[in-house]
Amino acid sequence: MFDFSIERKRSELYMNIRKFFLERGYLEVFTPTLSDSLIPEPTIKNFETTFINEFLTQRKLYLIPSPEIFMKRMIANGSGSIFQISQCFRNAEQLGSLHNPEFSMLEYYSMDFDEEDSIALTIEMLRETAIKDSEKAIKEDPIIMSVRDAILEYSHFDLDKAQQIEAIREIAKEKGHVLPEGESWDDTFNRIFITDVEPNLPNGRPVILKDYPKQIECLAAKKNDFYRARWEMYINGMEIANCYKEETDKRRAREYYEKEYAKLKEERKISKEVIPDADFSFCDIDMRPSSGVAIGLDRLLMAETGKTDIEEVLPFSFRKMLNV
Amino acid sequence: MIKAGQIEKGTALLIKGQPFLCIEREFVNPGKGSAFVRLKLKSPATGQTLSETMKSQDNAEDITIEDRDFQYLYNDGENFSFMNTENYEQIEVPMKSFDGYEFLMKEGESYRITMWEDQVLDIQIPSKVVYVVTETEDAARGDTVQGVTKDAVLETGLKIRVPGFIKQGEKVRVNTETKEYLERVNG
Repeated sequence: MFDFSIERKRSELYMNIRKFFLERGYLEVFTPTLSDSLIPEPTIKNFETTFINEFLTQRKLYLIPSPEIFMKRMIANGSGSIFQISQCFRNAEQLGSLHNPEFSMLEYYSMDFDEEDSIALTIEMLRETAIKDSEKAIKEDPIIMSVRDAILEYSHFDLDKAQQIEAIREIAKEKGHVLPEGESWDDTFNRIFITDVEPNLPNGRPVILKDYPKQIECLAAKKNDFYRARWEMYINGMEIANCYKEETDKRRAREYYEKEYAKLKEERKISKEVIPDADFSFCDIDMRPSSGVAIGLDRLLMAETGKTDIEEVLPFSFRKMLNV
Repeated sequence: MIKAGQIEKGTALLIKGQPFLCIEREFVNPGKGSAFVRLKLKSPATGQTLSETMKSQDNAEDITIEDRDFQYLYNDGENFSFMNTENYEQIEVPMKSFDGYEFLMKEGESYRITMWEDQVLDIQIPSKVVYVVTETEDAARGDTVQGVTKDAVLETGLKIRVPGFIKQGEKVRVNTETKEYLERVNG
């Protein structure tokens, strides 16, 4: 049975989002879904396929887990503020109430914005694009708190004082976590965060957690010695959005790409052709000051319609297709 | 050993030497970083519940548990004696691990026991059981109206409250979790 009222709400939400950004002068862009390169995230597994052409060598291609790399190249080439709604694909993720391997993502980059400007824009967008006639539509503005305050509140320790690997290991062990030797700081942090913070975030109202630890490597710019200019938004315990003030320091961006791609190559035993521009020249582009936000639209639609299982907003979910 | 990511509802695990059953499992993928599973575990022996967060790639010690049928023979005040109904082997289970079970189990009756190797994790008692009332005073005339209850002792020694109209030698159905009278059983 299809619930066409949900389809109508999805259509309304997407139309409202397009209208919101177009009115503010953003350019809607359309980047590839099938890509010759991987994004620098070793923990994300890809769907891959083979390009066949009788005159050319066969090439591996990948369904994008995020349009990030393409959109950043557009920014670097002077596109100005841009947005895109695209289908993204992540392999080897579980088929649970919050995960479907194919999902819909809204990504927007705002020129000369920092992460605080993106918070203001996102709150305005949630307010203006909320679905009419939906009792569950998000009406309240988010609660904003720093990751440090959230850890203090829900896990009762000061993250400022747990910057060294020994310190955070000690805290995790006291809390009863069993830690493998040599576990990275960010994995240990995530264990604590997932156990103590995530399940206890307030329900019914969006929550923005800002200033993520610098040890979680990503392309968010440095905010201070301990934290990055990055935030995430949760609604009803679901992770809905992720935002960076984008890294503009070429040297740091290059370091990040080189490190993450090295991990990728080692883990997947893959050759260099999966890396966009094998000589990394693409990290030497002049990234202009901007802030990017990615929002999971299936989850946003769940929040807007009060659904708790992603299957309820996907007429052809993987679970239904594969009958599992 | 299995990977934490392979744990499902019903998987039996050994946590710090104690057997636990997974009763809830949820996958968590942080925006950046490795995938995790959040588990809710229950000890069949003590009923204790635990919450565990593990990385999908963490190793977990899984164990094989099975249900077997045993006949309850007797208790000597310290141990319950059971006999495996297939191979007639006898086992002894310390009474202190299953507090109050001597008042619920009937000698000679079969019970399903959850075992891990030779360790008894759970003795399954049906939620509703029929017992014979062995001791109860006859109700005084006029006390048989509804709502009036009195003490009764059942064949296992369990003491419960029963309605005034129940007589010694009659059968009653009892909720074994709340130890409450449910109904009179004829025949």
